[in-house]
Amino acid sequence: MASLPLCHRDDIPEGAARGFLPLPDAPRRVIVVRRGTRLDAYMDACPHYTGGTPMAWRRDAYLNGEGTHLACHAHGALFDIDTGACVSGPCLGRKLTRVALTEDQAGYLSVPAHVAGRAAREE
Amino acid sequence: MRIIGPDYLVFGVDDLEGSRTYLQDFGLKPVQLDATGWLYEALDGTGVVIRHRDDPKLPPALQTKNMLRQQVFGVEDAATIDAIEAEMSRDRRVTRLADGAIEFQDVLGFELRFQVTRRRTLNMPAEKINAPGAPAQRAPNELGVTDDVPALPRSLSHVVLFVPDIDKMVEFYTRRLGFVITDILTGAGPFLRPAANDDHHTHFFIRTPAYMQGCEHLAFHMGGPTELMVAGDRFTRKGYQSFWGPGRHKFGSNWFWYFNSPLGVHFEYDADMDKHDDAWVAREAPNGPEASQVFLLQWREKWAPGGGPEGGAKG
Ligand code: FES
Ligand SMILES: [Fe+2]
Repeated sequence: MASLPLCHRDDIPEGAARGFLPLPDAPRRVIVVRRGTRLDAYMDACPHYTGGTPMAWRRDAYLNGEGTHLACHAHGALFDIDTGACVSGPCLGRKLTRVALTEDQAGYLSVPAHVAGRAAREE
Repeated sequence: MRIIGPDYLVFGVDDLEGSRTYLQDFGLKPVQLDATGWLYEALDGTGVVIRHRDDPKLPPALQTKNMLRQQVFGVEDAATIDAIEAEMSRDRRVTRLADGAIEFQDVLGFELRFQVTRRRTLNMPAEKINAPGAPAQRAPNELGVTDDVPALPRSLSHVVLFVPDIDKMVEFYTRRLGFVITDILTGAGPFLRPAANDDHHTHFFIRTPAYMQGCEHLAFHMGGPTELMVAGDRFTRKGYQSFWGPGRHKFGSNWFWYFNSPLGVHFEYDADMDKHDDAWVAREAPNGPEASQVFLLQWREKWAPGGGPEGGAKG
């Protein structure tokens, strides 16, 4: 399966989230959250509105103030970092779209190539 | 009732430092209110008040996690405050504050405060344009745009609320507070303006489930479309996230550009909104992309044609 390089695991500080474009002109970023050895990745697309909309309020500002949840800073939806499930806010009951990460021996992360075209869903 | 519109919107935030940076970068001026609170004001003194969400000085939060804590309305005179107090005291508790303002909850539990407006009268020109067939608005040698245009928010324009019961809200704001419906997006809700404000809207209500009740966005008036574009472009370059726009709305005719914020609502730059009087008859259109805008654009990096074919000239 074709894949795209995204970043190195050390590009993401411990306990933080960052957004990366899988291709320079991809319509959506991929959010990667790092906690200890664990990495979780989701499309930067809040499920509140059709097509999904970007969630940070500033570049890489994806977490809530306490750093306990992924947050959509459009209307304050909070998402469980482990599962991507919305736990409060407008998209209650929906989930972020998880992205499968592959890590090579040197710690470089890549994602399936199709995530760069994910916004084909967008209308 | 001579209500003008929101003087301030009060928020209880979880990221105070981030919010302060955001509001300043948006173009608002910080005024420290006390040890724990700040007003970020537009040129006419209207604006956004923020405190940490655990600050006891804040009015109580909504049941939802929405960070809006209070809408502070400006009215023309003390007689209007008295009239609102008399009307509201019929069926709810009204608190009279030492400075003469009053506080109460609306029909869905949004916290409101009414005060004689503190906004300053602005005296500055609108963006001027030249067009064939019309007298030139700019004098000879007066430039239309320069790199250093200030492009600062002039005045708090409107607030949009997610409301679980539109009918109750409309009844309350029109019958009890004298707001007028200017247009309706069917499926979403009505645009409203108070009696002492001729802007197309200071409020727009969107029908939602109860777990979403709160503020959807707030907007500041800019001096014109160019100022809106310049402010939005600068804000984007600082790393802030555009959500919708730039574009131009149909109802209200205002230019718009929305951004995500750490206050959990959108902040909008708007410009050139329609004015109405009581002769206006409200229109109605089904909510959706067609009714929402005349056109929609998207920001991109600066670019210019030039540089020749890739790899240099051939032959
Ligand atoms: S768009 Fe994300 S919460 Fe509304
Ligand atoms: Fe708006």
